[in-house]
Amino acid sequence: MPVDLDYLSPSAVDDAVALRASRPSAAFLLGGTDLLPQMRSGRRSPETLIDLKRIPELHEIRENEDGGLSVGAAVPLADVETHPVVLSRFPLLAECSKTVGAWPLRQRATLAGNVCNASPAADTAVALLALDAVVNVASTTGRLAMAISELFLGPGQTALMAGDLVTEIVLPGAAAGFRGSYQRLSRRKGMDLATVGVLVGKRDGAPASWRVALAAVAPTPLRVAAAEELLAAKGASAAREAAELAVAACRPITDLRGSAEYRREMVGVLVRRGVESLG
Amino acid sequence: MSAPVVGTDVPRVDGLEKVTGAAKYTADLKFPRLLHVAVVRSPHPHARVLDVRTDRAARMPGVRAVASGRDFPLHTGIYLKDQTVFATDRVRFVGDPVAAVAAETPELAAEAAAQVHVEYEPLPPIFDVEEGFAEGAPLVHPDLGSYEVVPWIRPKAGTNVCNHLKIRKGDYASALKGSWKVFENVFRVPQVQHVPMEPHVSVARVDLAGKVEVHSSAQSPFTVRHLLAHCFGLPHGDVRVHVPYVGGGFGGKAGINLEPIAVALAMRCRGRWVRLMVDRHEEFFATVVRQGLTATLVTGVDRHGKVQAQKMHYLWNCGGYGGYGVNIVRSAGYTCGGAYEFPNVEGDSIGVYTNRPVGSAYRGFGMQEIHWALEQQMDRVAVELGIDPAEFRLKNCLGAGKSTVTGQLLDEHAGRVDLCIRNVAKAIGFEPDRERTPYRGKGIACAVKAPAMPNDAASSVILKFAEDATLEILISGIDYGQGLMTVVAQFASEALDLPVEKIRVKGCPDTDLSPYDWQTVASRQTWATGNAVFRAASEIRGKLCATAAEALSVPAEELSLRGGAVVHEATGRALPFERLVMGYQFPDGHAIGGPVAAASSYLPEGLLFLDPETSQSAKPVAKWTFGAQAVSIAVDPETGQVTVEKVAACYDVGKVVNPALIKGQTYGGIVQGLGTGTMEELVLDPKTGRAVNASLMDYKIPSTEDVPAEMAVDFVETAQKDGPMGARGIGEHTMIPTPAAIANALWDACGIRISEMPITAEKVWRALKAKERAERGAKAAGEARVPAGTVA
Ligand SMILES: Cc1cc2nc3c(=O)[nH]c(=O)nc-3n(C[C@H](O)[C@H](O)[C@H](O)COP(=O)(O)OP(=O)(O)OC[C@H]3O[C@@H](n4cnc5c(N)ncnc54)[C@H](O)[C@@H]3O)c2cc1C
Repeated sequence: MPVDLDYLSPSAVDDAVALRASRPSAAFLLGGTDLLPQMRSGRRSPETLIDLKRIPELHEIRENEDGGLSVGAAVPLADVETHPVVLSRFPLLAECSKTVGAWPLRQRATLAGNVCNASPAADTAVALLALDAVVNVASTTGRLAMAISELFLGPGQTALMAGDLVTEIVLPGAAAGFRGSYQRLSRRKGMDLATVGVLVGKRDGAPASWRVALAAVAPTPLRVAAAEELLAAKGASAAREAAELAVAACRPITDLRGSAEYRREMVGVLVRRGVESLG
Repeated sequence: MSAPVVGTDVPRVDGLEKVTGAAKYTADLKFPRLLHVAVVRSPHPHARVLDVRTDRAARMPGVRAVASGRDFPLHTGIYLKDQTVFATDRVRFVGDPVAAVAAETPELAAEAAAQVHVEYEPLPPIFDVEEGFAEGAPLVHPDLGSYEVVPWIRPKAGTNVCNHLKIRKGDYASALKGSWKVFENVFRVPQVQHVPMEPHVSVARVDLAGKVEVHSSAQSPFTVRHLLAHCFGLPHGDVRVHVPYVGGGFGGKAGINLEPIAVALAMRCRGRWVRLMVDRHEEFFATVVRQGLTATLVTGVDRHGKVQAQKMHYLWNCGGYGGYGVNIVRSAGYTCGGAYEFPNVEGDSIGVYTNRPVGSAYRGFGMQEIHWALEQQMDRVAVELGIDPAEFRLKNCLGAGKSTVTGQLLDEHAGRVDLCIRNVAKAIGFEPDRERTPYRGKGIACAVKAPAMPNDAASSVILKFAEDATLEILISGIDYGQGLMTVVAQFASEALDLPVEKIRVKGCPDTDLSPYDWQTVASRQTWATGNAVFRAASEIRGKLCATAAEALSVPAEELSLRGGAVVHEATGRALPFERLVMGYQFPDGHAIGGPVAAASSYLPEGLLFLDPETSQSAKPVAKWTFGAQAVSIAVDPETGQVTVEKVAACYDVGKVVNPALIKGQTYGGIVQGLGTGTMEELVLDPKTGRAVNASLMDYKIPSTEDVPAEMAVDFVETAQKDGPMGARGIGEHTMIPTPAAIANALWDACGIRISEMPITAEKVWRALKAKERAERGAKAAGEARVPAGTVA
């Protein structure tokens, strides 16, 4: 860690954006559960930390008129996964959130941080992808909204420009009502990153809608549209075919947590099981 | 006599200090004007050191001392002095210290360390133990023949072998020829790390008069002092070592570790305190690790299912230095047959240098590794012969009247492994005719271990009274959670009939003031320090009674101790300890006796060296502790995930001194066994020799959520003849059989064998796929033959 580190804690979004623009080597800080370990290991060395937790606006969780929910960037995951609207309308997000680290960690770690860090294994990202979340961003040129599907570019890489500040993540009302499971394999049960994560969701209707999204098996978290369409057309009896489509879509690597071959096969097993359990 | 104290759940005497945070660990200690150390470590696994230039670093602001192998070409090592404080001519693993800097802040120290210029000439590294053992392998220690070594360790100059212990019992070759069936298998165990909660840290100062003072997170203050004195050529009396509370050691803090580096720097800036503290990353590869093992086993059985010929070839991957590891090699040699009686044995335990991190003591001292091999081998043989694995073990196990691989005849005071086997088999439901469910299985494994230590390893204690008759007990064993301080209080309480509340155990030794103790290793403290406590207590009792006899004008033999008083039963007269411990004063004012104190010690008796060629010995070790574990598991056939649902453990500990503490030890051991058995391995990059998973993100040990849902723990109490109230060691044994039991359960559940630790989900998945392919192939070939015991 650098010895001389400036720490700033603005109280308004616009101030934070302006400060960031005036400091070429700065980073936004939320829970710090990604950023601080990265600084300690020397992977990142910003000269200024702009802590966003003093900005009241970023602490809000707001119900929207369309039945959706806006989650401020500074809201810790613990508050997200226990929120009544999340539990009733977006239970898949709670499922995913509950697998991040452990309960004490989730008192600090945020949804926005999980998204901005853009790990291929980001557990909440799969739920946000499945639920067509929208990321609201503030920048020097104004505010804009970005579809989560456009956000992830690669490990640690997002479509955000340097200086873009994520203010909130919006779950659209239109995505409410999906239920299902987030199955996750890891080397141990408590506090470990996913070796493979598979979300399968379903919303009843005629026809039913399906969601299939994957973590830790591609350079980014991934949604498998082909599998979703197939399931919408054929229902749960097409579990095996859907699983094959997911296997075809994933692009895992071999690392300390597992081999590419194992991960690919596990995508097939877990997608099939996820679909069958909703059949 | 009041109610017994030994055998009851006396709460930890150090509990309040630990839960409130009052307990201080080395890194908590505050030192005036403390200097911080950064170590320059080798980036190469094997290289010649051509030049070390420290002048630029020495001139940097805030730098107070720089040291390298040029200034300190000093050898250290507990049994084999094969390591220098800093590398001199050669580095032998990535992380090998080459130089070190002490500066006013950690950052300045790190900056200066980066300015130390080292010129290396890389040499071909050896990571694989078989490669290192092969004829003509490049030598890791070309000067091996010139190193100082204790007489019972045998390095082979001109090779990479740092120790070789041979067991030759009976006539193996003929017995093998005469065997009805022969089985040969190879098993492997990787290097693993101890992962103590508290990483290594040592603080040192050399005062202006030249006296050395050290505070260290260590298991053995006196061994640290002894080796420091030897290394730096100082009188022992001028070296003082303090050990505060220690946050876990598991063997990794046995012997000597960071202390010499801190002392070397302190010598160059007299009067200043110097602290060397490794971080979690360095802890993984720059401190010591557990050795790797490649074991080749051959078993020849007769028609009655009795093993007649047994060969064990253990190749230990010792890493760059074997100072301590050589004794693991020895211990694994004389215990090579585990809990079994083998009439004809060829055993070879061989330590091999490689360019991996340094292997050293780790809870179990080689026993989990060899039991991983042995206990799977016994299981395979049983299954192949169609004999129930528990029955097969009972048929071949050690017990009274049986002889170990060194020819030691066990008597009726040795532990009862047979009872342990029966106990865990029952607890887990291991009946031969049990109902089978696909992908659920049960496995069993035995364990045995003796303390591996020099024959003259001793412990001592000092007992003394305070004015209010509080009994103070000075020990130099370290209580890093196993409960030694509590057990010592219980023994003293029992011996003197004094309530535990009146006893204070001083558990943070200071070599200037505390009594000698060899080391806190080898599961020896309850036994050795315990014995010393009883001896000293008996002296105390004598002194109290002598004074009381005079005071009461009764014969001393008629006095007894009860509840903190000396009592004369016949007359009902009593004198509380308070009136005796500082001397007794008669009504006329004259006083007798005096402050009551006693010092005593314990040294194991009658231990005999092993024969240098055959290792036969009637008493090679002080005692054996036997035990067994059985597990039940569920396997997910599609993902390979194994869930250990229940573990049953039973050990013959001689005497349960504190049920709550021994259960805690056993639960902890099981979970640690689960860790090494199913998830742990220190992985090196095959090209660079660097540890690639040197962090808690990439190297996993079990979390609370991984603890088995049920652990059933039980004990047998066959009194140890020379144990305090019959007790023998248990600390390490609790983690020995767990991995093998899981491996055996895996066979029972789904007909696969994993011979290389750890049993990861992916390995299980691969083995299941391979089995499926083999069965398909067999079917296609028209001979659908499934191995015995397989559940379809
Ligand atoms: C022990 C441990 C276990 C973990 N386990 C898991 C796990 O199981 N699964 C998982 O997915 N993750 C895990 N993580 C990673 C981490 O906790 C999560 O990614 C978390 O959600 C990050 O949130 P944060 O608030 O701490 O982000 P921070 O670390 O504060 O920030 C993350 C990144 O986003 C940037 N940033 C912060 N705020 C903004 C903003 N408003 N706009 C733009 N950029 C911003 C920061 O500069 C930084 O690069 C673990 C971490 C630890 C330490």
